[in-house]
Amino acid sequence: MAASRALRSSFAVTFSVWRALFLREAATRLSRNPTAWFWLIAEPLTHIAFLMWLFVIAFRQRHIIGADTSVFVMLGVLAFIIPRNLINGSIAAIAGAQSLYTYRQVKAVDTVIARIGVESLLAFILFFVIWTGAALFGFPVSLADPLKAILALGTLWFGGVGLALVFSVVANLSVQAGHLVRTLMAPLYVFSAVMFPTAAVPESMRNVMLINPLVHGVESLRLAFMPAYQTAPGIDLLYLMQWAIVLIFLGLVMHAVFENFLMTKK
Amino acid sequence: MIQINDVHKRYLTSRGESVWALRGISVAIPPKVNVAILGKHGSGKSTLLRLIAGIDRPTRGEILCERRVSWPIGLVTGLQPNLSGRQNTRFIARLQGFSEKEIDKKIEFVIEFCEIGELFEQPFGTYSNGMRARLNFALSVAFEFDVYLVDENLGGGTGPFLEKTRNTIKYLSEHADLIVVTHAENILKTYCEAAVWLHEGRAHWFDSASEAWQEHKKALAA
Repeated sequence: MAASRALRSSFAVTFSVWRALFLREAATRLSRNPTAWFWLIAEPLTHIAFLMWLFVIAFRQRHIIGADTSVFVMLGVLAFIIPRNLINGSIAAIAGAQSLYTYRQVKAVDTVIARIGVESLLAFILFFVIWTGAALFGFPVSLADPLKAILALGTLWFGGVGLALVFSVVANLSVQAGHLVRTLMAPLYVFSAVMFPTAAVPESMRNVMLINPLVHGVESLRLAFMPAYQTAPGIDLLYLMQWAIVLIFLGLVMHAVFENFLMTKK
Repeated sequence: MIQINDVHKRYLTSRGESVWALRGISVAIPPKVNVAILGKHGSGKSTLLRLIAGIDRPTRGEILCERRVSWPIGLVTGLQPNLSGRQNTRFIARLQGFSEKEIDKKIEFVIEFCEIGELFEQPFGTYSNGMRARLNFALSVAFEFDVYLVDENLGGGTGPFLEKTRNTIKYLSEHADLIVVTHAENILKTYCEAAVWLHEGRAHWFDSASEAWQEHKKALAA
């Protein structure tokens, strides 16, 4: 209850909202229970371990040409986790944001951007922790082409941001749309070649699979680690990049168009 | 000036669209006057207050607002149950764009005002209803606005804290503008000079709050 402050610029207002939401989000994520850090690492590790079991014991498939099976699975899971966590986090961010609209400077898109920030940070920390851990345990995870790896990870992240912006609007348009988006996540996972190499897919199916932009990021990341690895022909990081740019613009437009709808009490 | 232009509002529910809560409200609320919002139950008073606060968006029409308007006092939402009172206070202050140094001052004010002692460092989810209401009220008055919005119960304190909330509202009514939703004649007469009377989906402006009260009484009796 002191003297009024000078009016701030729109950028200053937006930036302080992002900062506040980001810090709150990060603190909440990691303080929910004492084992939050543990599960952050344990969830993908179990995922990787399960796929390893599938490959080695259930499918009797110990060899993928030019790749170590464990590194192949690890990179697949870690690559897919980036867009997956961005998408799921962003959908949840808008769904739970109603109570934040009490503060008029908060818009629906701000909650998504803050969540993308937190999820990205955690996904990259996760990548480095598991990668380092795998190296310490003696898995062949040396990086053949660092620049390509950075490009692949960056482009995957970019694509994840685009998908998160679009899906966060679509999933919150109606209950049905929400179910549809969540249902779509399963085929998106399967068609991202997390559990099998694209080269193993029959040619007729391959062309359908390569429409999915994420598969180009996942396979490119593997190539950066394992240059002898054989992918299906046509893996192109630029294709994912083009998708990412279009999705980011589309997502931002959708947030602008549906802002009123998303922020109306339902 | 808060300019409300032809504002319509109805809610979207799982059963489709509700009846109109507001049917074309146009009213201008000038500065330097404390205004009451009067009307029967269900006449759209709280809806109007939420729209002025920017919590919800009108279905049609627009609200032009060139002043710093608070959220309804006592209606602080979005506090995280697993973060402490202090962490939640920092969050609200950061949203308003205060620097970390200024935030420390705000925290001192909140600690002193809400008198919840050690509990301030505990997770918000462990607070009793009374303690929640205290922190809520303290957070509502810790920041400076040109206009404060008040819904009905003045932020709901009990016991000795009620005295404090009353004094604070009194202070705010003298140093800033209030927009008060109320059913109580004494609140209207204590704080408000002018009034907006909501009747049958329309808004009527009264320069004198007591005149508006007479109209409101008449409509209730009819």
